[in-house]
Amino acid sequence: MVGVRQQAAFHSDRDANGRPLSASEREKLLKPYLPAAPKTQATAQPQQNGKQAKLFTHKPRVRPAIRHAIHYLLFTIIHTVFSVYIRVRQVYHAVVDRVLAILYYHHRTPELIKRDVKNLSKVPQHLSVILQLPPEGGKKDRLETLVNDACEVAAWSACAGVPMLSIYERTGRAYAMHRIDVKAKANGVAGILKSSLPHLHRRIERNLISYYGATSPLKPTVSLRAPHLPSYSPPHSPEPSSNGTTESSRPHITILLISASDGRQTLVDLTRTLASMAQDQKLQPADISAELIDAEISESVMGEPDLLICFGDRVVLDGYPPWQVRLTEIYGVQDHVGGVEYHVFLRGLYRFAKAEMRFGR
Amino acid sequence: MATTHGTSLRRWLMSLPPLEWTVQRLRELLIGSLKCGPIPQHIAFVMDGNRRYARNHKLETVEGHHLGFEALARVLEVCYKSGVRVVTIYAFSIENFKRSRWEVDALMDMAKTKLVQMSQHGELFDRYGASVRILGDRSLVREDVIREVDRAVDMTAHNEQAVLNVCFPYTSREEITHSIRETVRDFSRAPEKPRHTKRPFSESHIQRNIRSRQLSSVTEEDRPRRASMTFTRDDGTNINSDAESTEISDQDFLDSASTLQPASSQTSHSTSPILNPTSTTTALASSLSPHSAQHLLDPETLTEAHLTKNTYTAAAPPLDLLIRTSGVYRLSDFMLWQCHEHTELRFLDCLWPEFDLWTFLPVLVEWQWRQRRERSGKGAEAGGVDTAIKVA
Repeated sequence: MVGVRQQAAFHSDRDANGRPLSASEREKLLKPYLPAAPKTQATAQPQQNGKQAKLFTHKPRVRPAIRHAIHYLLFTIIHTVFSVYIRVRQVYHAVVDRVLAILYYHHRTPELIKRDVKNLSKVPQHLSVILQLPPEGGKKDRLETLVNDACEVAAWSACAGVPMLSIYERTGRAYAMHRIDVKAKANGVAGILKSSLPHLHRRIERNLISYYGATSPLKPTVSLRAPHLPSYSPPHSPEPSSNGTTESSRPHITILLISASDGRQTLVDLTRTLASMAQDQKLQPADISAELIDAEISESVMGEPDLLICFGDRVVLDGYPPWQVRLTEIYGVQDHVGGVEYHVFLRGLYRFAKAEMRFGR
Repeated sequence: MATTHGTSLRRWLMSLPPLEWTVQRLRELLIGSLKCGPIPQHIAFVMDGNRRYARNHKLETVEGHHLGFEALARVLEVCYKSGVRVVTIYAFSIENFKRSRWEVDALMDMAKTKLVQMSQHGELFDRYGASVRILGDRSLVREDVIREVDRAVDMTAHNEQAVLNVCFPYTSREEITHSIRETVRDFSRAPEKPRHTKRPFSESHIQRNIRSRQLSSVTEEDRPRRASMTFTRDDGTNINSDAESTEISDQDFLDSASTLQPASSQTSHSTSPILNPTSTTTALASSLSPHSAQHLLDPETLTEAHLTKNTYTAAAPPLDLLIRTSGVYRLSDFMLWQCHEHTELRFLDCLWPEFDLWTFLPVLVEWQWRQRRERSGKGAEAGGVDTAIKVA
């Protein structure tokens, strides 16, 4: 970085007396701050003079070594200090997380969730979450945990009045019936895989019942969908609208399940189709526009979500569909290790509404 | 410029030579020591907050952009000195054309003056071994700016150590669209087959040779049984007489093909797919879709790699880190294709003109820290990931 005086000179493009700078003057200003010129000629020269020159040319050995040692020492110190710092930060965040988790807990009561989001100026029309398949070797069954998380998020969104929820999970295993292969069955994870959409729908429905009660007229209806699979929304016939509430008065939530294959792969598939059309002379490459792609992609997968919540410890998209995240607000909690938790969800909604979150309700 | 009392005092202090020298040494030392660990190969910056900074400090908007440019220079210096190979910056979005005409013009003028300055100092770029590349839709930029852009790009093109990608009028959707369009174009065009240098054997000659041999064998063997085999001999003569006509039609086809594809030389162009072993796949493709022209790539072979190859950042290593300033938690149509995999996204609260080594350092160190941890944990994790992939 250049010094203050030089900086001012560059800023106004004038020297201290107010005369405009010429190109060479500017270079003179910068000279001391530049790295050494690449030593391509310097190494070539001494060899011409032979042995004698070699004897007398001083080749710096000690100084670079010392410099390297100092750098390495400093590097170690920085990282030691930093890892202490990051541990402290992690602890701090963990404490904040715990406190928030206690203060804001939903107690499986839709009214509490409603009260939490009541003061928000806006609620995302399309919420998206990134779930992660827990690593193998945990205490619980991985897929079971995943399905549980999905059900919980679905219930919170339904209570918060989000009309559209998309759940991204990289492998797409919790629901991808059509992607099961023999290997997966052999690995013994086939229990839930057999299920696919109807099963997950049943689970979500059961979870909602645990929130709302079985007969509540406010219980939202759910339709479950995955790209390239027909939408699954069973008839809500068992309880005909006898008690005055019509079907339309009940909130409805659409849940979309997406996986990594709906990201880049979809764009590749689209390109394949377009390429074969172009080969058959049905389309000129010049006709391909962003609007065309957008229309195709949003029809076959989904539109742009308003808010994306990552439940990991840092913000990594991890294969999330690239085309759609253009203007999406991305939310992740720093150093969060607790997985899918209600307060993270709520903080995401607060961020989206640009609202301050205060301790206590 | 708004100079409050505190900042002017600080300014005076910082301009004291010994202090300046010390700070300078300290920076060099820090950067040097950072180099001991892993360094991201490709960093992208969204330089957001220039306008807000100007507003907060009661400056003109353009002044804010100027300060932003200076911040960029500082950051670039840190990046290149610490060994980052590619830096991509979001300089101007296609959406920005919607801003006030005055501001757009001022931005363009600023870009032009900076580019002119840059081309006056070509060798300074050489010191860093940095080359400039402009990514985006050039057709939207003013003529005179494009000329300066080209000059700057040409002047630094020979440097290979580091790259500065300037996304000039850029949106990622435009980039993806561009990539898809180019890929489709590639696939609807006959591929450039690796042409060998002129070979001494001509395919048509070989073909003629085979035909004549077939013919002679037919005629010689069948001569004794001429009466019974008139049909075949008729056939044989048919071949013989047809040979000329097919030759001509082949030639016609060749001509038409060579007008489509001027680079192809006629001698090595295969007239028959069976004779050319390299064209079996294309023959397969053409048999699948009979009405499409010959020698087109099968669209089913199209992969992510093709699309990646046609993005503007094809030459750059994968994006390791994306930094956005000014507390906006969006990508805003930047690097969507590149950063959706393992890129770490960092959203910082400071405004871009305030961004310098001391805000950049924690981000970089944290990245290093995580990278080192991941590397040490990789051995244990590899097994799990492997099975996960298998199952998926």
